[in-house]
Amino acid sequence: MKSIKLNIGKKFNRRQFLKASGLASAALGSTGLGFFGYEAGKNPESYTGWENFEGANQSFNRKRKSVDHPTYEKIGSSQRPDARTEVIFQRRSLFMRQWKDDTGLEGLDDYLQEYYRKRPEDLDLDLYSMKELMPKMMSDSRKYRQKFILSNAWSNAMGAVSPRSTNEPPEKSDFPSRRRFGGPTEPEKMKSPELTSNLIKKIAHELGSTLVGIAKLNPDWVYLYPMRGRGFEQDKPIDVPKHWEYAVVVGTPMSWDPMYANPNYGTSNDAYSRSRIIAYRLASFIKQLGYAARPHTPGTSYDLMVPPILIDAGLGEQGRPSIVITPELGNNFRPAIVTTNLPLNPDKPIDFGVQRFCKTCKICAENCPSGAISFGGKVEVRGYLRYQVDTAKCLNFWNSTLGSMGCRLCVAVCPYTRKANWLHKTALKVSMNDPTGVSDWALTGLQKRFYPGPDPQKYYMPSLGGENASYREPPWWLKAEDFIEF
Amino acid sequence: MNFFNSGLFWFIEGIFACLVVIGIKIWMEDRGIPMPYWKWLLFGLWILFLGFTIAFIGTNIGEKEVTAAVKGGILFGLISIILGVGLWRLLLIKPKRNS
Repeated sequence: MKSIKLNIGKKFNRRQFLKASGLASAALGSTGLGFFGYEAGKNPESYTGWENFEGANQSFNRKRKSVDHPTYEKIGSSQRPDARTEVIFQRRSLFMRQWKDDTGLEGLDDYLQEYYRKRPEDLDLDLYSMKELMPKMMSDSRKYRQKFILSNAWSNAMGAVSPRSTNEPPEKSDFPSRRRFGGPTEPEKMKSPELTSNLIKKIAHELGSTLVGIAKLNPDWVYLYPMRGRGFEQDKPIDVPKHWEYAVVVGTPMSWDPMYANPNYGTSNDAYSRSRIIAYRLASFIKQLGYAARPHTPGTSYDLMVPPILIDAGLGEQGRPSIVITPELGNNFRPAIVTTNLPLNPDKPIDFGVQRFCKTCKICAENCPSGAISFGGKVEVRGYLRYQVDTAKCLNFWNSTLGSMGCRLCVAVCPYTRKANWLHKTALKVSMNDPTGVSDWALTGLQKRFYPGPDPQKYYMPSLGGENASYREPPWWLKAEDFIEF
Repeated sequence: MNFFNSGLFWFIEGIFACLVVIGIKIWMEDRGIPMPYWKWLLFGLWILFLGFTIAFIGTNIGEKEVTAAVKGGILFGLISIILGVGLWRLLLIKPKRNS
């Protein structure tokens, strides 16, 4: 004891002090880094989202990754899709209204008959849904519905506010009916398309859109036959209106915590509803400048295929789950589109490595309970080479879960859909700037080992051998058992 | 804005880093061990990796990704220790004296 005291008294000079300070600083600095990481992980600011206005989250510098041609490939003569059969919700709805066991296929409209003759496997899947899955879902719902009361209530609440859908033909609904400020009825003379584009993007961000892009509308993306309720003459091909020159794309993400608890606790209604309101407001803004504008708002009311327009507008690239992946939000977002004749300056498409990464990754296909996402390569669809999802299998899984409708597991598990903190942003930057593809392999391996989900079979409802599982725990405010007496 | 996401936090981390460098420099001088640039470079890289490991664990705990925190902590922690031991032996190399 004596010698220690002497040491402290005599030898704790300036050099000793600096050495001790270095040691203490190493300990404090390391602890600080741990806390920094913890805060970065739980900080809601890294959720990214619609609540951060003024384009704060359109943070990716697209100019560095912009390309002259989009990353999909045209390999044959293009064919416009038929919304009545190619849009699964339309087809199922028509099928369920028309199908009768005694008349069978013959009792369906001609175009449905033709479709099912070409794709008999889809008839089997649609029948299986109607005859087996729906009744099972009803009976399981009666047993387990209380567990998902809050997530259902949340989903319905998010979809409760919506503008009345455009249900008139374009020549009637798209043009301004009257000028609010008096004056001439001609469109305002804009100074330049560049300035107008900047203005429109700013307005869209101010309206709450996280992402905004502009594309020259390719008529290939307009449905050949329209959806019901959009004001077009039924069962007659759409003659693409001349005033649908440009497409302004807006988009907002789905709320983070419920999205991570898919398929039972998440919802698309939140982002769809926000994007829909933004699109209708933006259309109103454009009309008041004297130009034509028409909102197209998935998932219920639109006249064109949305994903390729997002790609043309430089917001992202198509990934393996067939939906668009953006640098900021991954595929965790829901878009809406406004077609217009307001002269604009289209954005360029981008290539930030998604095509190469999706070839290696396949996490979405491995985690897809229905097997709707292919492990294989791209296929030709209506003249374009692209990933194709089996939408009938996908929708059948929707009818095999009890939560807030839908699945979105391909959103939750996608490595691009991670929080916008230092860790995942660094991984994204490494992947998109590595020309060798080695980092794709390494990052995919780490993702699979570090962030595993349940066995896909467990996502099914109990009567189909599942456990009502979710990818991650739901947020505390959606756990019904903590608030409601069962 | 949380303190750990602020500029002030990184300013204080910078001060800590300077003190660590000064401390090591004096410690090495006291033992007569030279610190050429390549030793500093290797030491800096190791510190970066160690910092990454600690922040990786913290971030995944913050994200409630416990599996990633544990597996990543073990993997990167082991790499940090192995590299640290190797680096330590390198740092302690003294120049050979002429007989």
